[in-house]
Amino acid sequence: MNQKKLSYKIKQYLMFAGPGTILFLGVVIVPFLYGVYLTFTSWDGVSRTKPWVGLQNYLNAFQDTAFWSALGRTVLYSAFAVILINIVAFALAYLVTSGVKGQNFFRAGFFVPNLIGGIVLGYVWKFVFNRAYVALAGAIIGGTAPSPLSTTNGAMFCLIIVSVWQFAGYMMLIYVAGFMSVSDSLKEAAMIDGCTPSQAMWNVTIPLMRASFVQCIFLSITRCFMVYDVNLSLTNGEPFNSSVMAAMHVYNTAFTYKRYGQGQAEALILFLVCAIVGVTQVMIGKKGEVEA
Amino acid sequence: MKKSKHVIALLLSLVMALSLAGCGGGGNSSESGGGGDSGDGKVSITVFNSKSEIQEYLEDAAAVYGKENNVNIEVYFSNDTVSAHLATRYASSNPYTLNMVDPKDVYTLGAQYGYDMSDQDWVAETDYAISVDGKVVGFPSCIEARGILYNADAIKNTLGEDFDPSAIVTLDDFKAYLERLVAAGMELPTGILKPDWSLAAHYLQQVYEERDDVEGFVQDLYAGNVDLMQDAKFNALMDAFDVLMEYNRFKAGPISVEDDQVHQAMSEGLDAFQFGGCWEWNDIVDYDYTGNIGIMPVPQNLTDDYTGKIVGGGSKYFYIDNSENTTDEQRAAAEGFLNWIVFSDEGKQLISDTCALVSPFRNNDIPCANDIGAIVKQYADSGNMIPNYDYDPDDHYSVLGAEMQRYLAGQCTREQLADAIETYWSTTTPVAH
Repeated sequence: MNQKKLSYKIKQYLMFAGPGTILFLGVVIVPFLYGVYLTFTSWDGVSRTKPWVGLQNYLNAFQDTAFWSALGRTVLYSAFAVILINIVAFALAYLVTSGVKGQNFFRAGFFVPNLIGGIVLGYVWKFVFNRAYVALAGAIIGGTAPSPLSTTNGAMFCLIIVSVWQFAGYMMLIYVAGFMSVSDSLKEAAMIDGCTPSQAMWNVTIPLMRASFVQCIFLSITRCFMVYDVNLSLTNGEPFNSSVMAAMHVYNTAFTYKRYGQGQAEALILFLVCAIVGVTQVMIGKKGEVEA
Repeated sequence: MKKSKHVIALLLSLVMALSLAGCGGGGNSSESGGGGDSGDGKVSITVFNSKSEIQEYLEDAAAVYGKENNVNIEVYFSNDTVSAHLATRYASSNPYTLNMVDPKDVYTLGAQYGYDMSDQDWVAETDYAISVDGKVVGFPSCIEARGILYNADAIKNTLGEDFDPSAIVTLDDFKAYLERLVAAGMELPTGILKPDWSLAAHYLQQVYEERDDVEGFVQDLYAGNVDLMQDAKFNALMDAFDVLMEYNRFKAGPISVEDDQVHQAMSEGLDAFQFGGCWEWNDIVDYDYTGNIGIMPVPQNLTDDYTGKIVGGGSKYFYIDNSENTTDEQRAAAEGFLNWIVFSDEGKQLISDTCALVSPFRNNDIPCANDIGAIVKQYADSGNMIPNYDYDPDDHYSVLGAEMQRYLAGQCTREQLADAIETYWSTTTPVAH
């Protein structure tokens, strides 16, 4: 059979990628395009009619100060959370690949928070901040300590702490893979050439782990930008709607306030911001990637 | 061999495509009962319940009714936002036959998908049915009301005398009473729930509801013609709120306190008063309940037509789906179930005793098993209930709830709160109704 024939190529494509393509079209592309169409309507989420309103939802989205505040808050939260997640994950990975006793147990232990769903995790930490912390701090200072969740900055701080706790174990696994992919012979060679262990780490191990960094930072950025479950169960936007993240605002606009078209338009803006940040980071990260 | 590979690949693609089509067009799945016939000759209907505390009882009642009337009834519950949950069902062409929603949803969802129940027998037995465009589409499952909850036993234990709620009319009376409780050892005798729905949709809402021309006042708010700081009702209610804040048992962390802590304190008599409603009874009895909890009007230093009354009305409305996804047989079965709730002994028992709700139907004389509800029933029967206003914008409770939380936390003054409320209304698109 002529392998250059179009019919052959189509058949080959259908055989290997056909089912995946159909699934991808069905669950990603078609809903996405339908969602884009809904941004041009004033649909409330349930009515039979979807009146066409042109760009009105985008205009409303640009004028929605609460949305931009939520987006700004999300950027701030993501910046802190991404940095901390990756520092903690890297440190944990270093720890569990350095040959400490029971390192496999620790690996599993640090990964466990990632197995707990965000909603459950939020409620557990809410108890920790609202009850355990208040009782403990109250006993220490001999008075009444306010819950950190009751202040604007405190709620954001708590969200960051919980996100780090949730994601650091997962990212740790990727960093562990990164550490293990760097051959010991390279490190030994560097040491023989006179490098101290920290110099070998900075100049040999970390540059060779660049792919792990790119991957972890991309994953943590996208997860933080889209955070919803922990936001819902830990703070629910409180106090005074000061911890409403972008995804929660989008959900509220679309479903609770029944402005589906506007919510969808804001979701699209959030998607674009997240995609631009994520892709830019990957492109910059990939540029300097080195191989042994 | 090659050919068979191609055939397998194409078949796989086809299966994937068909399975996707199946996901999208599952309107008549057995889960939904959308087809109406469960295969055993019985009509199948689905019921959406949005009141978590009665799910188990409703399931049992549905089983009893189903057995007696040859109907399969599946009762579903979701604690998601009602409109959001139902939107997903409509989007998948898989709506419930009977839907329990809040009054304001009846005007949006019921207006489009509500089946006309004007000819039903139960309509004559209630004053709380909701009509849209001249058609009865909302079946009230209960009456709910808001006010100051009190724990009479806790008061008696502290002061050594029976509590008479009618003795507290003005805010001065209330404050004097609180002072007596404090002097007798109950250091902080009030509790305040901090969720936005309680602060804005229930407490602040009274500012709009307790006046002669509610609609006119709301329209003035939209038009930006209201100066709340000069409004006697706003000030009277906020004065009362200030007193609740002053004696709040959780004043050290008023916006981090969780609902169950407030309910537990009320249930166990650690405090004596709390702003709330009759639906909280189920949460209150979960603890070491001392008994004898009741409800009274919010005391105000303003005597008007609303003095001595509580705000409330019909709640948790059922509407029957009128879309093409529901058959006439299913609608008939749903109508039958609603009539059974109203007219049968089991149905009356279900509402008033088992679910401990206040029945909105005149023919139901079974005493309400809910202590607070029994008092609400007295207010309703004696005409001392101020109707709810159900046409707030959808984001009202969230936006102004945040402002009320700010006030509760002592982070803004009454002037700033009034300003935020006026700004919210004047920059919001009026709700058409």
